[in-house]
Amino acid sequence: MSEKGEVDLTGAKQNTGVWLVKVPKYLSQQWAKATGRGDVGKLRICKKGNQGKAEVSFTLNEELTVIDGIEDKTVSAPRDHPFTMQTVGGQMLAVFTENSSGQSEERSDGSSSVSGAGAGPDKIALEGVVVQRAECRPAVSESYMRLKRLQIEELAKPVRLSQQLDRVVTSNYKPVANHTYNLEYERKKKEDGKRARADKQQVLDMLFSAFEKHQFYNIKDLVDITKQPVIYLKEILRDIGIYNVKGTHKNTWELKPEYRHYQGEEKTDE
Amino acid sequence: MTSLGSSSSSATEYTVRVPKNTSKKYNLMAFNAGDKVNCSTWTQARMERDMSGRRIYGDEETADGAAGSEFGKKQREEARRKKFGIVKREFKVEDQPWILKVNGKAGKRFKGLKKGGVTENASYYIFTQCPDGAFEAFPVHGWYNFTPQAKHRTLTAEEAEEEWGRRNKVVNHFSIMLQRRFREQERGGDDDDDENEKSGKKKKKGGGRGGDLRIHDLEEDLEMSSDDSDSSLGDDGESKTKSKKDTGKGKAKKKKKRKSSDKEALEDSDDGDYEGLEVDYMSDESSSSDEEPEKGKISKGEDHPKGIDEASESEEESEEEKPNEEEAKEEEEEEEGKKTPVQTEKKKKKDSSGESESSDDSDIDGETASALFMKKRTPPKRGGRGSAGSSRTGSRPGTPSIDSASTSNTLRAAASKLEQGKRPTPGPSADSPAAKRLKMEPSSQSPAPSGKSTPQPPSGKSTPSSSDVQLTEEAVRRYLIRKPMTTKDLLKKFQTKRTGLSSEQTVNVLAQILKRLNPERKNVNDKMHFYLTE
Repeated sequence: MSEKGEVDLTGAKQNTGVWLVKVPKYLSQQWAKATGRGDVGKLRICKKGNQGKAEVSFTLNEELTVIDGIEDKTVSAPRDHPFTMQTVGGQMLAVFTENSSGQSEERSDGSSSVSGAGAGPDKIALEGVVVQRAECRPAVSESYMRLKRLQIEELAKPVRLSQQLDRVVTSNYKPVANHTYNLEYERKKKEDGKRARADKQQVLDMLFSAFEKHQFYNIKDLVDITKQPVIYLKEILRDIGIYNVKGTHKNTWELKPEYRHYQGEEKTDE
Repeated sequence: MTSLGSSSSSATEYTVRVPKNTSKKYNLMAFNAGDKVNCSTWTQARMERDMSGRRIYGDEETADGAAGSEFGKKQREEARRKKFGIVKREFKVEDQPWILKVNGKAGKRFKGLKKGGVTENASYYIFTQCPDGAFEAFPVHGWYNFTPQAKHRTLTAEEAEEEWGRRNKVVNHFSIMLQRRFREQERGGDDDDDENEKSGKKKKKGGGRGGDLRIHDLEEDLEMSSDDSDSSLGDDGESKTKSKKDTGKGKAKKKKKRKSSDKEALEDSDDGDYEGLEVDYMSDESSSSDEEPEKGKISKGEDHPKGIDEASESEEESEEEKPNEEEAKEEEEEEEGKKTPVQTEKKKKKDSSGESESSDDSDIDGETASALFMKKRTPPKRGGRGSAGSSRTGSRPGTPSIDSASTSNTLRAAASKLEQGKRPTPGPSADSPAAKRLKMEPSSQSPAPSGKSTPQPPSGKSTPSSSDVQLTEEAVRRYLIRKPMTTKDLLKKFQTKRTGLSSEQTVNVLAQILKRLNPERKNVNDKMHFYLTE
């Protein structure tokens, strides 16, 4: 098992030669629909003897020429696709694969449905080196032209559309005597009643436990936590705490240094 | 698929397959032509994602929970971001660059950046030939352009500009990088020292302390005031601030600092250093300030003979050394733990001294109290000292320093015995609510009556020097009630001629009596005075 990051160099050592082929989008879509073992067509390579130039052409299988989503049945994908061969040039192109174990998803070409970050370590392997570049072009035919036209029309449609409505839309907001949210709020207020002053010691306990969790508190948050009237709470806070007027923690209360005992801070107190 | 006419043409057909369920994602690794990379020469390679972008994009994690955190900070931050419409870009691992290391540490390094827009309009496929002759086509998931990374040192932009300016003059281009390397080494070595020096000298303590400790506000104030008051002392003040500042940086550095500060002090004001040692009635103005640079010396000098006063002084000074190295609060706790009786009583006396008008009270020295008090006390004392100095000497039956020096050896034992006896007993009483006491202390800067302060007999009265013939407890008690006295004074009362005891015996008996009486202590003018209240 190769450890994470280790690149499997077998492909490079064998100098496996691969082709890099540029394929039109519609063709890759058709290939995605392939059934069975994934047979999509036939590749025909004609070597012209002495000259050495090869003619390569790809023929799409019959069943894959039907394009979904287009109502016009006469429009179908062309079958003949000659390849235009190109040299790699000086550039060195290598192919490496990434195998994200544990989360393999079916890869359909074009769509990059990545399964997040691989759960297990990725196995990286060098498959080979590109020796030939090619472009797959469709053989020009009537059906191809029609196909293209349809595509362009699709793309030309604006994404957003303005539409005039006949009638007034009444279904969104209706006037209501009192919103349910309001009713709930008032009921809750009545039920809870005004905040009563609890015993000072209890309040102190509550405050200390609150300050154990966080160092800085807003007065509103403290009122929420302790459920005490503001004035009373402020009095107690003035005893044991200080109010930060400036600095990063603006307008917050914190315990006086002698009451603090934080791990993060370097000083220890009682 | 029409066959061509030429005789030597051959056409072969291959099936093309697009495998469906493959977990492998094919990517392209593109190298620049000029780099002349040959994959087959690689013996081993490692490649991983460069995750350094994560912390730029990731949220800055402030301290979670307890120290430094606010209640509801995360929600507030989120709400704030939404309000301003700040949208954070996700950190996608897939889009991060690759780091490729070839042939181990000594080999080459490449960085592979993802090329955008590859899969938008057309798809790339990798055609590989299978053993059975068929072609398999795999879609390309991503295209990465790999560039070699320089391992050699490079100039920064500023340096490059500099060199550009000098290009016509510089002939030896090799020296440019050599110098740079040399400079870096220097900078790395002297970094710590430089930091300390600069921050000690330039920044005021507040600035220098910023990252290290959170120190009690009170101490800030104290130290600030001490800065002001000691600024006149020049280097002594600086050395003190440095030694104070170094608490956070660790003891090792502190010692180094202290040495340097000591050196500085020595260089500049040698005279002032030793003023505080023999303290009888010499002016104490520089004692407290000179103490700190001397602390090193004094702590060493603890071993050799000293008078009671000096013994007590030094004990307290050694305490102060420790507190100075820790924080203010711990300081007090320690002192309380170790020298509770002395400290609490000193504090008491401090409070009480603040209120009473007597000359003795105003002469309380800071060095015998905790460092917390020391600095604040020094400035007010200065004013009072001049006037009180004379009166002090007047009130005490002329104690020449020579006398003290001679009797100091014998009194040392008595003093130490006394203090040891006293130490354990008032321990628990001193641990009364620390909060209250600590609250008291900040407020006790201005003389405030404290619950513990005991009313002092006005010591301004001149005592009729009635000498007792017998060295009895009664006699000692009478003396102590009337006026606080030092052991020397007491001894003087019971002169050997009168009592018929030898000096050693006198000392022993006196020590026993004092142990029995258990008088209160007070520090006046660096000397430990005993007194009783009835």
